[in-house]
Amino acid sequence: MMNTWALSALWVGLALAATLLAIWFKISTALSEIVVGTVAQLVIGAFLAPGGLLGNTQWIAFLAGTGAIVLTFLAGAELDPVIFKTKWREASVIGLAGFFGPFFGCAAIAHYVLHWAMMPSWLCGVALSTTSVAVVYAVMLELGFNVTEYGKSILAACFINDLGTVIALGLIFSPFTFKTLIFVVVSIAVFAALPFLTPWFFRKYGGRVSELEAKYILFFLFAMGGLALWAGSEAVLPAYMIGMVLAGTVGKDHSLIRRLRTLTFGLLTPFYFIRAGSFVSVPAIVAAPLTLLVLFLAKSTFKAAVVYPAVRLHRYEGNSGAYYTLMMSTGLTFGTISALFGLNHQIITQAQYSYLVGTVIASAVIPTIIANSFFLPRHLLPHAQTSKKTEQSVQRPVAAEES
Amino acid sequence: MGSAVFVGFQKILVAFDASPHAERALDVALSMAADMNAKLFVVAVIRPPEPAESAEFNAVLEDGRERFERSFAPVRERAKLKGIELETEIAVGHPAEQIIHKADTIQASLIVMGKRSHTILHRWMLGSNSERVLKYASCPVMIVH
Repeated sequence: MMNTWALSALWVGLALAATLLAIWFKISTALSEIVVGTVAQLVIGAFLAPGGLLGNTQWIAFLAGTGAIVLTFLAGAELDPVIFKTKWREASVIGLAGFFGPFFGCAAIAHYVLHWAMMPSWLCGVALSTTSVAVVYAVMLELGFNVTEYGKSILAACFINDLGTVIALGLIFSPFTFKTLIFVVVSIAVFAALPFLTPWFFRKYGGRVSELEAKYILFFLFAMGGLALWAGSEAVLPAYMIGMVLAGTVGKDHSLIRRLRTLTFGLLTPFYFIRAGSFVSVPAIVAAPLTLLVLFLAKSTFKAAVVYPAVRLHRYEGNSGAYYTLMMSTGLTFGTISALFGLNHQIITQAQYSYLVGTVIASAVIPTIIANSFFLPRHLLPHAQTSKKTEQSVQRPVAAEES
Repeated sequence: MGSAVFVGFQKILVAFDASPHAERALDVALSMAADMNAKLFVVAVIRPPEPAESAEFNAVLEDGRERFERSFAPVRERAKLKGIELETEIAVGHPAEQIIHKADTIQASLIVMGKRSHTILHRWMLGSNSERVLKYASCPVMIVH
């Protein structure tokens, strides 16, 4: 049995290796950490120690769980309330379509095609219903469309989509007892009070070396997470909601958000993503790769089938084809959180967990690989037919003709 | 019809990533801009991690913007001393694509960029930005070694 510090060194060493890989290959640290976790578990489990990375050790589970909660809070805090207020109608239609399409579609495919039981099928629907806001935002910035009305709608729609995922995760598997009612009532009261209480509290006591703000936020995240677990729900649900309700206040405090990010990326999320990766069973995926393919196709098809009509409904044409496809990618954070929730609560087996995480990674990575491998200079495409003429004219951009 | 006379580059675009290679490219571009009385455009590109995850993505954006803004300060000083008209921009996206896009937008007459040495694996996985710019740019490109 490895002692605590040796185990810590192993995990932080893996996090360091994952970060280096992310830097070298320009990929997200989250993805790198999941892959490193999977490979390390496989190698260490096979050759060095039967328990592998010991991902179920209590303190590792605590750090990983805190990572998921704070990461979810930060994701919620990035909502732009101004955009949301002006675009909530369209955002709701497109976002809910983006959630319900793959949610019901993937659940049906898991149940009727893959013959999964009812609860694992619902969890499959939840895990594959997510959308990564950041992917959408990244591409919008890349194309320079982040300020257009359409871009703003899609961004807000992604938040609604992910909100659907978080609510579904928090409530579908909840037993709906008296505890659930208490959780809902207390949550509503806390979400309503925090936007007023927090700025006042920070103004009065904040700005000190003792990091009162971080402790205050962690207190509410843990307290509401504890209440959620007591009620049989999931801790990320209140975390996302707290992030959203504080987006207009705490979310605008860049210094605080930055300090929380340091804590999150420096210590917490490596444990979360490496742990999520360590539970992936490579043999299970190798044994049934078609399952992964079916889930990937189901996710992409159902997302496209519902988001596209919803987008057209709002009379967005022209660039709409390019935009709506941005919502096809699955968010690594919410996708893995949902799958891990299922595994921890024994709703799904390790093999099913592996297929879900594999699909989440595939749907996040494949569009990226295609885009990079077949590098398309998008900005040049409209000029493709006139490229020869352009080339000729720029040969002598500043040439003066002698008469 | 008479023959064309090259009067110099009027708009020089420098791709800048604050690396030593980019600094060398910037030195060359500053000299050329001063000699030819050209306007200098400096573009720095923040490349988001892929696939982007929201919290990490925003952290990368903020960090990149601050880093490049700091790097631009001495560039502005040097341009001012040489009497060069300068415009800086921080773009987000694929570096080669954004450089080409900026060059097209401003109708650059020359792109100047540094060349980084990459491993074979890196080139195979990610390609080289300078090679991509050379391939797709619609104006002359100068690669500074």
